[in-house]
Amino acid sequence: MIHATNMRVLALFPILVALVLPVLAHHSFEAEYDFNKTLTVTGTVTKMEWMNPHAHFYVDVKDASGKVTNWNFELGAIPVLLKQGWRKDSLKVGDQITVEGYLPKDGTKSMANARRVTLPDGRRVFGGSSADVADK
Amino acid sequence: MAATLLLALARTPATAQDQVKITGKIITPPGAVAPKGAPPAGPKGPVPRMPDGKPDFSGIWNGQRALPNQEPPIMLPWAEKLTAERTNNYSADDPEARCLPGGVPRAAPYHYQLVQTPKLLLMLFEGNIHSFRQMFLDRREHLKITEPLWYGDSIGSWDGDTLVVDTVGFNDKFWFDMAGHPHTTQLHVIERYHRRDFGNLDIGITIEDPGTYSKPWTIQRVSTLETGIEMSEYVCNENNSDVLHLVGK
Repeated sequence: MIHATNMRVLALFPILVALVLPVLAHHSFEAEYDFNKTLTVTGTVTKMEWMNPHAHFYVDVKDASGKVTNWNFELGAIPVLLKQGWRKDSLKVGDQITVEGYLPKDGTKSMANARRVTLPDGRRVFGGSSADVADK
Repeated sequence: MAATLLLALARTPATAQDQVKITGKIITPPGAVAPKGAPPAGPKGPVPRMPDGKPDFSGIWNGQRALPNQEPPIMLPWAEKLTAERTNNYSADDPEARCLPGGVPRAAPYHYQLVQTPKLLLMLFEGNIHSFRQMFLDRREHLKITEPLWYGDSIGSWDGDTLVVDTVGFNDKFWFDMAGHPHTTQLHVIERYHRRDFGNLDIGITIEDPGTYSKPWTIQRVSTLETGIEMSEYVCNENNSDVLHLVGK
């Protein structure tokens, strides 16, 4: 379901590591995604693609009418994710999660960059997104 | 940077019937943001040495980071115009985003591993694009390059404890950075590597290219040592689905 969240941010593991490392990407964030179009969705994990240059995961999201749409969310690169504490099995099929992210500029449906993910146990983790870049 | 991120994290996610809410811009186009400070220092300790007494650069290093307060390059008009176009289009045409090599001296966010022998220094890139550079320490003359190269032909010599790497023979395809600074095949790069202590590698770079820059462009960078990790695999072309969506403006 699509809803608002206002939780405290919790990183998976050493928080400062995630904050101080440069999270450059192999492509420019704003060449693809729009900082002005944010979204928050909750749904069920259906697949993890643990690949480079970016990992992706897929989430079934049910709207108010009960219609289910499968969303494709982009994470960071594997080396960056590993450093942030992510592992291939950090998201398991069937997990109920909430994703905060950004929509693509080209209008592609059901696709977004995942900036932060709230795991089933309530931890809110970074997605290794190049949105979290202050100095490129 | 941490302060900036904390501010960003304090933002409340959007709520909207259509899943989309307009929020303010939080960063400027890529390449337009200069570093505000030096990265955190690496671990302290003595410089490891080769059997012949030269510094041993071997190790896994964090991606090169530019130091703050550096002079921007003085470009010829065509290069200034092209860089502005690339930057303003959010670097959508960056070859690196097509899984092509970053060239020299592109700074990448991923680790690189230096493997040093008396005659050869290898730079193994973890990320874009999981390839390698060879820096020959036993050759004093450049090869006659007939086909321009992504990484050029690198020969290294010692100036005390500093390794001076001289590289020519480049193609003109790669960008120096996400801002899109260009070059021609006249490019000549001189890198000075100095392992300040166990965990900090100072890198001075001089870019000479009279076809692009009206005077040599110097860049100071630093890499810090990573211990207790191994390089991870990175096969850029395995799932580069982004390239279809890089629309820029």
